[in-house]
Amino acid sequence: MTETFYEVMRRQGITRRSFIKFCSLTAASLGLAPSFVPRIAHAMESKPRTPVIWLHGLECTCCSESFIRSAHPLAKDVVLSMLSLDYDDTLMAAAGHQAEAIIAEIKQKYKGNYILAVEGNPPLNEDGMFCIHGGRPFVEVLKETAADAKAVIAWGACASWGCVQAAKPNPTRATPIDKVISGKPIIKVPGCPPIAEVMTGVVTYMLTFDKIPELDRQGRPKMFYGQRIHDKCYRRPHFDAGQFVEAWDDEAARKGYCLYKMGCKGPTTYNACSTTRWNGGVSFPIQSGHGCIGCSEDGFWDKGSFYDRVTGINSFGVEANADQVGAAAAGVVGAAVVAHAAVSAIKRGRMDQTNGNK
Amino acid sequence: MAYETQGFKLDNSGKRVVVDPVCRIEGHLRVEVNLDSSNTIRNAVSTGTMWRGLEVILKGRDPRDAWAFTERICGVCTGTHALTSVRAVEDALDIKIPENANTIRNLMQLNLYVHDHLVHFYHLHALDWVDVVSALKADPKKTSELAQSISNWPLSSPGYFRDLQNRLKKFVESGQLGPFMNGYWGNPAYKLPPEANLMAVAHYLEALDFQKEIVKVHTIFGGKNPHPNWLVGGVPCAINLDGTGAVGAINMERLNLVKSIIDRTMEFVEQVYIPDLLAIASFYKGWLYGGGLSSKNVLSYGDIPDKANDYSAANLLLPRGAIINGDLGKVHAVDLKDPEQIQEFVTHSWYKYADESKGLHPFDGVTEPNFVLGPKTKGSKTNIQELDESGKYSWIKAPRWRGHAMEVGCLSRMLLGYVQPKQYPFIRDTIDAVLKKLDVPVTALFSTLGRTAARGIETLYCAKLQLEQFDKLMANLKAGDLNTANVDKWEPSTWPKTAQGAGFTEAPRGALGHWVRIKDTKIDNYQCVVPTTWNGSPRDHKGQIGAFEASLMNTPLAKADQPLEILRTLHSFDPCLACSTH
Amino acid sequence: MLSAQDMQEAAAHGRTVKAIYVYEAPVRLWHWVNAVAITVLAISGYFIGSPLPSMPGEASEHFIMGYIRFAHFAAGYILLVGFLGRIYWAFVGNHHARQLFKLPLSNRKWWSEVLFELRWYLFLEPDPKKYVGHNPLAQLSMFFMVTLTMVFMICTGFALYGEGAQAGSWSHVLFSSWVIPLFGQSQDVHTWHHLGMWVMVLFVMMHVYAAVREDIMSRQSMVSTMLSGWRLFKDDRP
Ligand code: HEM
Ligand code: HEM
Ligand code: NFV
Ligand code: SF4
Ligand code: SF4
Ligand code: F3S
Ligand SMILES: [Mg+2]
Repeated sequence: MTETFYEVMRRQGITRRSFIKFCSLTAASLGLAPSFVPRIAHAMESKPRTPVIWLHGLECTCCSESFIRSAHPLAKDVVLSMLSLDYDDTLMAAAGHQAEAIIAEIKQKYKGNYILAVEGNPPLNEDGMFCIHGGRPFVEVLKETAADAKAVIAWGACASWGCVQAAKPNPTRATPIDKVISGKPIIKVPGCPPIAEVMTGVVTYMLTFDKIPELDRQGRPKMFYGQRIHDKCYRRPHFDAGQFVEAWDDEAARKGYCLYKMGCKGPTTYNACSTTRWNGGVSFPIQSGHGCIGCSEDGFWDKGSFYDRVTGINSFGVEANADQVGAAAAGVVGAAVVAHAAVSAIKRGRMDQTNGNK
Repeated sequence: MAYETQGFKLDNSGKRVVVDPVCRIEGHLRVEVNLDSSNTIRNAVSTGTMWRGLEVILKGRDPRDAWAFTERICGVCTGTHALTSVRAVEDALDIKIPENANTIRNLMQLNLYVHDHLVHFYHLHALDWVDVVSALKADPKKTSELAQSISNWPLSSPGYFRDLQNRLKKFVESGQLGPFMNGYWGNPAYKLPPEANLMAVAHYLEALDFQKEIVKVHTIFGGKNPHPNWLVGGVPCAINLDGTGAVGAINMERLNLVKSIIDRTMEFVEQVYIPDLLAIASFYKGWLYGGGLSSKNVLSYGDIPDKANDYSAANLLLPRGAIINGDLGKVHAVDLKDPEQIQEFVTHSWYKYADESKGLHPFDGVTEPNFVLGPKTKGSKTNIQELDESGKYSWIKAPRWRGHAMEVGCLSRMLLGYVQPKQYPFIRDTIDAVLKKLDVPVTALFSTLGRTAARGIETLYCAKLQLEQFDKLMANLKAGDLNTANVDKWEPSTWPKTAQGAGFTEAPRGALGHWVRIKDTKIDNYQCVVPTTWNGSPRDHKGQIGAFEASLMNTPLAKADQPLEILRTLHSFDPCLACSTH
Repeated sequence: MLSAQDMQEAAAHGRTVKAIYVYEAPVRLWHWVNAVAITVLAISGYFIGSPLPSMPGEASEHFIMGYIRFAHFAAGYILLVGFLGRIYWAFVGNHHARQLFKLPLSNRKWWSEVLFELRWYLFLEPDPKKYVGHNPLAQLSMFFMVTLTMVFMICTGFALYGEGAQAGSWSHVLFSSWVIPLFGQSQDVHTWHHLGMWVMVLFVMMHVYAAVREDIMSRQSMVSTMLSGWRLFKDDRP
């Protein structure tokens, strides 16, 4: 099981020649002289696997569940051959003291050289005791573990944005991890959960190229989160043509028309679903007839019903969508205008009378 | 302090052992036990150590959205909360779903059982029985003989096992043990010979590869897994078999894909999971601890309605009912809406009720956090050394059925099926066959091993039901019915001013119920009582312990500082803490 | 009120103070182009939010959403270009051209006239005052409901446009890259952009009514001023 990077690549059918080519590309992309190629090749052939500590805060574990569904590379290969998943509550053999000892050991032995992956987030209310780890607030364990990490991966909407437990009124004050970890590069891989191959794609990119992928302003890898579902949705021709599903299971639904009117959030959601698709490319939400609910977007739980196209505004204490607010205001103003015009006309009539009498 | 409850003598005078975190489960769980001088557990305290407040968050929202929120209660039993939620809302609004929608939901639910159980057995539970390091000592040839003697699964040659063993060797020698680091290897409680260990390690890896195939049924009907999409009134995927645009819907190609997945799933269950289970169990027949409440009180709501919209016990392919006080001769009827039956208590839970000596039926349920520690807690509020179980000590509420703490889950379901052989002959026959094969009496079921075996048996049953439900779907399509959704009451303007409903499923881990009250088209109250809420329940107002706690009682530990037996028994329930507290 | 400068300007054009040249041609042109653009934007925008009933037949035979969105974006560009031109004219045009952008907030007299105008509209003043440019209340509402709202609509509109134009496009660089994160996510930008439409609609309702009413009831010309540029006064009182 313990294979070096090189062996894994070989097993996956990559030849020695392309391995060396890969190493020189790596050198080039890192801005290194060609003389570094043999060194990189050597490192790839022999270097220890990067240790990963995978912590869980408030979450539903479906990011882990998604991860193990990765088809290329297989989760098995990632976990056992490409990196060293030394701590992960969900999979590890040890528990209790024996588990806690691992974090301490990795922190010390690989100071500054391990990756911290976080699934879920820390609650801050009740001194953090809405999520307890070893008798202590999870947020403390998180901060301590992050302190010596090389980089931090924020898995899913939970770690990236807060997700469902942070939906209003966020009773536990669940907080995205970048609000409590500072001074470390944080790679956000949002989604509820993220696509398996996107997760392993980000990890293998980091291990292969030994660098952090290019991130957008919100901290997401551009390679997977640079475009909206809508930009690459295969139902887009129906959108442009104005062909919409008007009700569930109507004729249009059976023909696979656009789900915009059923509340599809594809036009506002940055994720790779419409191209990479799910579970080895079998389908994705829209392909199976339900609109995108925007699960990779910040605060997607609080944007009104998933079935509303024009979504609600809660800021005013009343729940209404923009059209309801606007139409109500227009009604008031319209009525006011009519009334005002009537009064003006009466007044003018009187004035004309007075003027006429003069 | 010592007292007796439910036939267990609790005594917390001995050495206290704390396990936190309990790993290889979903979510955050802590247990504390007291050991007597012979290292036998005499007191057990189980604590849910997380809370997110979904019930609070759901208030005021659109009931049609609730499935998505509750689905995020858990990604491991993904979908079951969503299904429970749409059933609750449909019950409240009296919405009838099309036959196809019911069958597709059944297919997805059955698919979840098979996937969840398989992953549990190999990836969350196996390491309690299988010593990975011992596999290094195995003879690959003998391993191959063992494998071929129990199954005709093709991957079983000596070369295959030798190759795997070599990789395992290098892995161990690298010093980077990954998830196997600090495991309890070499603990005398491990009983398998090296060959069985090597075979199990091979299947641990094969199952990891295969499980991702199983869930594709969810992907086809629900768009993704984890967390597929659902719909109040039916299912979101439309069916189109031969019209224009059929490629945009469930069509023949999609149906063929489903069929091929469920066929291969059956193969894996029959040829790998079940033989492994029997092989491993045969070495542990003597270790029959961990029965806990299973021989006394078990509960199941039942699931897989064969015909649409009929949720009566007679129409359910997974059994419904309650057994209390160990009387297997009487199956009690279960009614989710009867205020006397299901009630939740919070005397020892970190919540507040106006009167905590009483329980609340979920329709009137209240969820208000209240984190206070008992006076004898050791440590501080943010650094707990030992909890005080005489005070509040868990984020899990304490649900009771007619006042009884109940065990829910595979074992409960299989027992309820076993005692109703007329309705569930397959369950009866399979259990009898397994008992015979292992040469153990029926009472052996009331144990950790019994729970693990019941899960395997249920997996086989569900894999079979999956094939049957698929045929049913095809027959209905053949009859010309393509409907998948009923939209008569889709618009909130068609709803009554107030409504209430209850939805249930059997989640992989047991009886799951959601109760919803709707007022002015918005959720007024939403309550979930979840399998692990039942099993992980803390003490109640009468001091009755929950199923986890009961199951740990009187178990001897081979090594006091290695919680292997504790893990083994807890894992046999497949605890899900995100579910339990939600 | 008439300033000395107004008088001089009128005299320079050989007119008495009965008529003053207020809105120079570029302002008038902008006004009407802008009015058309906003009308197109509001209608097309509404149908982007709530599309028309589905079209039958082949997808490739239709492009209705495409055309509606095209109309919206084209009008959006015109709005932007017009607005930039209007800002330019605020620098080089007459002092009325600056009224949209500069509120004399520290001028007490101006505030008292805002109050006076309010009283006039509430029928509490018998006689309106004379204004060469915008009356102060109109100026105030135009500043908030047109100038600021238009900036808002342009920023949010082009931020949304940049999403489709993709990273690297000018609209993405200039707008999407900061507007979207500022609001949280794209859906919020849609919602606020949509609300902005209603602010505009409200303005237009009040504005058109006020323009017509003032034409009739005030002591000066209105609608024709926006056509010819000349403000005609109906009486000689100050
Ligand atoms: C007075 C000015 C404008 C009005 C009243 C207006 C109105 C609207 C409305 C009502 C929507 C629908 C929003 C929704 O519910 O999602 C919309 C969408 C949009 N507007 Fe505007 N808009 C204005 C200016 C602009 C400008 C200047 C641009 C820049 C090009 C622009 C670009 C867009 C885009 C890109 C969308 C989204 C289209 C889509 O999602 O397909 N808008 N607008
Ligand atoms: C979308 C529609 C419209 C918008 C956004 C709009 C906006 C504006 C703005 C910004 C000004 C100030 C011009 C400046 O100082 O540069 C203005 C002035 C004016 N508009 Fe409009 N307008 C619209 C439609 C109309 C219509 C339909 C009429 C005629 C019925 C009209 C009549 C006037 C008049 C008379 C003035 C001059 C007011 C004064 O002298 O104080 N507008 N409008
Ligand atoms: N307990 C529990 Fe679940 C299950 N099965 C749900 O209802 O796991 Ni997350
Ligand atoms: S992001 Fe969503 S899917 Fe992932 S753990 Fe959180 S709730 Fe679950
Ligand atoms: S289905 Fe959704 S993502 Fe696809 S084209 Fe329609 S609106 Fe866009
Ligand atoms: S709901 Fe999520 S899975 Fe993809 S299509 Fe939408 S981002
Ligand atoms: Mg509950």
